[in-house]
Amino acid sequence: MPDLIQLAQALVNGVGVGLVYGLVGIGFCVIYNASGIVNFAQGVFVMLGGMLAHTLLTRAGLPMPVAAVLATVIVAAIGVAIQLLVVSPMWQRGTSMFAIILATLAVQIMIERITILSLGDQPRTYDNFTPGGPLRLGPITIDYQLFWVLGGGALMVAALWLFFTRTRIGRALRACSQNAEAAALLGIPVGRMLLLSFALSAALGSAAGILITPTQYTAYSIDGPFGVNGFIAAIIGGFGSAPGALAGGILLGAAQAVAVVLFGAGYRNVAALVIMLLVLLLFPSGVFNATRSKA
Amino acid sequence: MLGVGLLGFVMLNGGYLVTVLGLAAIYGVFCTGLNLFMGYTGQASFGQSAFAAVGGYGTAILCAGHGWDPVAGLVVSMAIAGLLALVVGYPVMRLRGHYLAMATFALGLIVYELSVEWSGLTQGYMGYAGIPPLGFAGHELGTERAQLGALVAIMLFGVWLAERMKSSRFGRALRAIAGSEPAAMALGIPVSRYKLAAFVVAAVYASAAGSLFAHFIGFISPEVFGVPMVVLSFTMLYLGGIGTIWGPVMGAVIASLLPELFRGLKEMQDIAYSVVLILMLIFVPGGLAGLLRRLARKPT
Amino acid sequence: MSAALLSVERVSKRFGGLVANDAISLDVAEGSLTAVIGPNGAGKTTFFNIISGALPPTAGRIQLAGQDITGLSLQQVAQRGLVRTFQLVQLFGNMTVRENVEVGLHMVTRGTLGAALLRPRWMAAQERWVRDEADTLLGFVGLGAFAQTQADQLPYGRQRLLEVARALAAKPRLLLLDEPAAGLDTQESAALADIIQQVNARGTTVLLIEHDMSLVMRIATHVAVLDFGRKIAEGSPAEMRAHPDVLAAYLGGVEEAHA
Repeated sequence: MPDLIQLAQALVNGVGVGLVYGLVGIGFCVIYNASGIVNFAQGVFVMLGGMLAHTLLTRAGLPMPVAAVLATVIVAAIGVAIQLLVVSPMWQRGTSMFAIILATLAVQIMIERITILSLGDQPRTYDNFTPGGPLRLGPITIDYQLFWVLGGGALMVAALWLFFTRTRIGRALRACSQNAEAAALLGIPVGRMLLLSFALSAALGSAAGILITPTQYTAYSIDGPFGVNGFIAAIIGGFGSAPGALAGGILLGAAQAVAVVLFGAGYRNVAALVIMLLVLLLFPSGVFNATRSKA
Repeated sequence: MLGVGLLGFVMLNGGYLVTVLGLAAIYGVFCTGLNLFMGYTGQASFGQSAFAAVGGYGTAILCAGHGWDPVAGLVVSMAIAGLLALVVGYPVMRLRGHYLAMATFALGLIVYELSVEWSGLTQGYMGYAGIPPLGFAGHELGTERAQLGALVAIMLFGVWLAERMKSSRFGRALRAIAGSEPAAMALGIPVSRYKLAAFVVAAVYASAAGSLFAHFIGFISPEVFGVPMVVLSFTMLYLGGIGTIWGPVMGAVIASLLPELFRGLKEMQDIAYSVVLILMLIFVPGGLAGLLRRLARKPT
Repeated sequence: MSAALLSVERVSKRFGGLVANDAISLDVAEGSLTAVIGPNGAGKTTFFNIISGALPPTAGRIQLAGQDITGLSLQQVAQRGLVRTFQLVQLFGNMTVRENVEVGLHMVTRGTLGAALLRPRWMAAQERWVRDEADTLLGFVGLGAFAQTQADQLPYGRQRLLEVARALAAKPRLLLLDEPAAGLDTQESAALADIIQQVNARGTTVLLIEHDMSLVMRIATHVAVLDFGRKIAEGSPAEMRAHPDVLAAYLGGVEEAHA
């Protein structure tokens, strides 16, 4: 019987990781809604965010805020490059969805290997954004970085919400997701919207990666797990719903943390897979709108 | 013809190319199985590496750990992989499109993780060494060339079986599913059962390839059966031509020879494979087999 | 009066607030060539999808030869002898024309993985029979010359014929044709009508949905008319042509469209 304190501690940390899953999940949704494409390389953005921020911090000696912004801009540019060089040519040729997924997986491997060659294969981390801590609430400790993760995550979600509801471009992007042909007829440049969706979801992933790195580590290989877990978050939320993905991510992070306490660290991803299969089989349109039929 | 010539040349001259062609034959087995599921049935599996790992570790544990005969180890591993595919596939085959892709991809990641974590069984990250070469009833195939011969023979047998499956009522049903699932159902084909059967067959091929790899190289580690293996096998499938009988083998041979042109780090090879795969997907989705067929069909 | 092969009792289908089918009943007599007609949006396609098992009904009961088939899947309904075609042609484009028909023979042949690998003698004999049978059917619909063509290379009109041949291969007790003449020109449509009549004359009961009135009036033995999700009339083609409700709902609309 694991004691409750251990469990509560795990839940606290799980929520932080879960938020990152949620942000990756939103990244999946943004691209999927704009184009119907599932970008398997989504986890790459998380990995690159952390790796680049670390490199800019340690090798270039930049201060954290500058490093973080610069890293995110670079990752967004990489997202745009993936769209322009790989996805767009296939999309225009009407290639099967499966082949596009495959191509994005190849992109992931390519970027992983380039990362190994240029930055090395050793895991690394950097200091919390704010020194001191952790905060002690009785027997439970909360790392200061967790507040950065939660705060940063909340800020990004709020910014996204404002973007999609209040700005012209954001509304145009949503129009694409509802009906690309109609959007094109209305004069919305669908191709450019696709680019935007890649830039946006890459930046989201990168920021999430930068925020979470101090609480664990980053390495070339973390993209796979983050990508899969982000995807699972999106599935739990009913693929395509951004708020659903966020909630799904937090749920998944918490569930994983509990599974680790109950069964051991090796079962982190096994738990995620089981959760994914259960959701796919029991709630094919997501947990939060299980009653709504898929239209 | 070209293949026979190449094989003859390598057999006579020996050297490093024997290893390269041996690996090509092993990948030929892997891709031929994958092709039944992806090329003919039109389904996506991004986690076939999991079943290759079952074969590889099955052989390592049974043959190196318990002194089993290679053939017995191979067959038992194949049975285990088939059973695993049956159990996992039963729920997973209900999924479609990107759901299916991600579910199978996760399967590959899980098995990879287990092979690292479960070190009592797999010897963990350091890998399993001392696996005996291929042999039968106590007779080991001593030379690399003899092993290459055996591998090519096994691969050809695998292709022959795949051709039998393809050109039968069973194979037609698989290809019908790729063509139109509703139409296949409306003709009374139990679609999910056939998908599952194809998934199991592909897993059995993958397991055989994993076992053969273990015998041929004598060493396996989790890295062997990672995501790069999945990308490499897709590169081969698309290079040779997905949904054709000889495409997977052609792709395996060409993709195996490819890095010989620009030898270098393992990482560089993976990058090269990824780039080739992306270019093939964009510009020549039918692969070389499709290209040849198109050329042959053109009236001269 | 012959017994009903298909008996549909008060079938309804609601999508949210929309009632696509409202308590529709229909009997299809054994050996008949029954047509379901109605203007666009009358609920014909939903009705067909429910009968064939592609959609479960919200309420009602469907019986095929006295067996309850309500709520069974497409595949299970097919296995009980009801085979359908699709409004949007659903060929196996990756296979040849002959192979398409050979797939149609799936239910009347046997042997799966084991037989494919071992190829026992009966399997070889069956393969020969499958090939001959497919060629016979292709000859019947006039596609004999295209046996080796890849199905998606066929011109559209011939794709329609191939779909009929493929469905016939399954030896259906009841053949459901979903707008078989959609997109065909007059000549192609007449040729198709001929084939459907021959199929019916050889003893296969046919139920078809059709938009093309002239085709229906020429070949159907019995006609049911749907409008706004309800059956508004039923009878012989001649009766339907004179029925005031039908004229109001449908024929009038057509004439207007032609005017």
